[in-house]
Amino acid sequence: MADVGETILEVHDLNKAFYGVAANDRVNFDLRSGEVHGLLGENGAGKSTLCSVLAGLYRPDSGEVRLDGRPVTLRSPHEAAEHGIGMVYQHFRLVPSLTVAENLVLGLKGQGIRLTLRAVQNRVAAIAEEYGLTVHPDSYVWQLSVGEQQRVEILKQLYRGARILILDEPTAVLAPHECERLYEVVRHMADQGHSVVLVSHKMEEILGHTDRVTVLRHGRNAGTVNTAETTAAILATMMIGTEHLPEPGQHAVRRLDHAPVVLSVENLQVGGDRGVLAVDGASVEVRRGQIVGVAGVAGNGQRELQEAIAGLRAIRSGSVRLGERDITAASPRERSRAGLAYVPEDRLGTGLASGLTIEENLVLKSYREPPHSRLGVLSSSAVGTTARTLIERFDVRGARRGMAVSLMSGGNLQKAILARELSRSHDVLLAASPTRGLDLAATAAVRAHIRAETGEGRGVLLFSEDLAEITELADVIVVMSRGRIVGSYTPETLDVEELGLLMTGAEGMVQAAVRDGGSEA
Amino acid sequence: MTLRLGVEPRARPALPVRLGVPVASLLAAGLAGAVVILVAGASPVEAYRTMLDASLNGVRPLTRTLVLATPLILTGLAAAVAFRMKVWNIGAEGQLYMGAIAAAGLALALPSGTPKPLMLLVILVAGAVAGALWAGLAALPKAYFNTNEVITTLMLNFVALYFMNYLIFGSVSFWRDPEAMFPQGKLIPASAQLPIISHRLHYGLLVALAAALVLWWSLRGTTWGFELRTIGDSPAASRYAGMSVSGKVLSVLALSGALAGVAGAIEVSGVLKTLDPRAIATELGFTGIVVAAVARLNPLGVVPVAVLLGAVVASGTNLQTVGLEAEIVFLLQGLIFLFVAAGEFFLANRLVFPRTAAAVGSP
Repeated sequence: MADVGETILEVHDLNKAFYGVAANDRVNFDLRSGEVHGLLGENGAGKSTLCSVLAGLYRPDSGEVRLDGRPVTLRSPHEAAEHGIGMVYQHFRLVPSLTVAENLVLGLKGQGIRLTLRAVQNRVAAIAEEYGLTVHPDSYVWQLSVGEQQRVEILKQLYRGARILILDEPTAVLAPHECERLYEVVRHMADQGHSVVLVSHKMEEILGHTDRVTVLRHGRNAGTVNTAETTAAILATMMIGTEHLPEPGQHAVRRLDHAPVVLSVENLQVGGDRGVLAVDGASVEVRRGQIVGVAGVAGNGQRELQEAIAGLRAIRSGSVRLGERDITAASPRERSRAGLAYVPEDRLGTGLASGLTIEENLVLKSYREPPHSRLGVLSSSAVGTTARTLIERFDVRGARRGMAVSLMSGGNLQKAILARELSRSHDVLLAASPTRGLDLAATAAVRAHIRAETGEGRGVLLFSEDLAEITELADVIVVMSRGRIVGSYTPETLDVEELGLLMTGAEGMVQAAVRDGGSEA
Repeated sequence: MTLRLGVEPRARPALPVRLGVPVASLLAAGLAGAVVILVAGASPVEAYRTMLDASLNGVRPLTRTLVLATPLILTGLAAAVAFRMKVWNIGAEGQLYMGAIAAAGLALALPSGTPKPLMLLVILVAGAVAGALWAGLAALPKAYFNTNEVITTLMLNFVALYFMNYLIFGSVSFWRDPEAMFPQGKLIPASAQLPIISHRLHYGLLVALAAALVLWWSLRGTTWGFELRTIGDSPAASRYAGMSVSGKVLSVLALSGALAGVAGAIEVSGVLKTLDPRAIATELGFTGIVVAAVARLNPLGVVPVAVLLGAVVASGTNLQTVGLEAEIVFLLQGLIFLFVAAGEFFLANRLVFPRTAAAVGSP
């Protein structure tokens, strides 16, 4: 382990709220010179907010940031850089048509009109060599691989004199061999006395490459520990918490093992936006009357899996069956007619056309069917009747005739989507983060609708990043990680610690834990 | 206390606002135009009176205006229907030329004794088909390879222009009159000429008005229009709803091209009576984009806007009598576009005066 020095950065009782929702709630954090400090937490735990405050991007509502014992205000990324804090974002901020050296001096003051790039190149080469960041200063950024571009970002911060480097999920975009190189660079920087904040939700990364770890949960500190003195299991529990474990008997577990399968996804492979496989051999089954909850950290292929089931993303291999019917190659409309209802994650823009009226949005999937239209001619009275019925039945509020839906609140938008999807004849409901961002009343209403589906003998495949929601609703809980379904539980057999390990991609450690458990027993 | 105006978005502007803002924009454009006319050394009052006399005051000026407005209605609709789906057809100009070439070609090829209704129907359809096919050259790669239609439609304008010039000036083509001393097109037979309503106003105006009505209704009242508006509003939502975006790109660009092509056919049949490249290349297609924008892409709004711009153009030559250049009308057109575009802001937002802000108790 590196020689860990004195504290250089302290954060005291940091508060930051967005629209009344606390993203950071009395967060404390400290960083020592020469350490690699992991920042671990689920999506929405407050990691990014804390980093953005340190990088000068957000102003905290209250709380204090101290550098070398003196309180500082970081009003802009520029001021943060002047204090020696640099951040490398997941999405790089480089100009592809410029060279590495040109990108490094971009936006720096005191360059004069004529660039003296020769001097820059020499210094870049020196820094690059010192830290093992091999990248050629004359190369154009567009020619570089993702890993190389990331090295340029790190170089940029070092060139600007950063002694504190914040890396926001740096390995999310990297191939495995590039990850190893990055870890070497990070360790090297720490050995040179720099401090590195490594934001991650990958357990192996945190355990293998940090000196200390701070875990955040729901915007609050869940603890800070020395990496050498902790285990994946302890960290997973800190990260997920135990408060939302269902009380025994609270959730009436139904035996549905013999009910017919209504949705079956088999060994599915689906490409992501960057062309690599985002879903890599995922299989899952939903039976009649059953809610299957898919837990996982965002970005592990959930969105791609949903889109592939709904027909919005091409399937490379594997199959999707709705009841007896193979819908692997069916169009979105055919799937909808075959009995698939879909509540997408993105409400305004995908689930609803934002500039259209509530009436038009409520018939978005049935406008071609009578009585809404005949021979291509719409019947505005039939559309209006359907809309009024649905608005009343699903208690959609705040809609006025002719008003664009974009002016409605999130809860009512979601009710409108549910109204449209659930009122059509269907056997399966595919719901993605159905209560995200909703208030308590709307959340309860949405969950009630989902629960009611099972009473009608339909199957529900529920994706959610909110583990509490999944444990509350689901009869079967599966975990998605790196494009695959890596674990399956019932509420009775649910082991939160193990679930946390699976979610953070530490499957190997689960097997080890199971072996250990076995040997003890 | 500093005086600060606040701005907040409007939900849906009431009818008086929707009508009042464009009218106020036009008045503001007129005021700005008055300043320009003053600077140019003429009296704005006299200039505007001359313009009114030349374009709207009396049957003859009015027919002149409507003749000029007819192709602008059609090219305005061509732009409006494509822009509603956020498909940027900048090629109405070239599609109009191709429509004119096809219409003139068929008018010359069919026996001159062909019954007039049949002859007119054939050449209007020929114009529409030629315009649609020309737009299709850009639509196919757009639909299947997602090429940028702004570039392809724009470039095809030049191809069409030089092709038309070649037919009359560069070769002894079927369209060119071999006997004439100077290069010019053959005159189309009387059976291929649109009948006259009054003075020089021809029945093409009714075709344009009918097109506006049908298009307006189609956008609101058919599944085709519903899909078009949904795709224009939210492509992701339309895919989610099962609509075929690429198929729609094809049909919308073809329709847009057909409307421009009909404009070309009507110019040949109702006004020029021959394929005259110089007389037809007056930027009718590009002005259609302005018409559509000022009309906020509403097919019914296209009609009055086209008449207004037609009136401005009609009065051009008469402005010389008050000592102004005829080109000043293009400047006025530009000002109208500018002020109406600025007026959009006031349709989408309302101003909040500090009094109301202070009442809430700002620090």
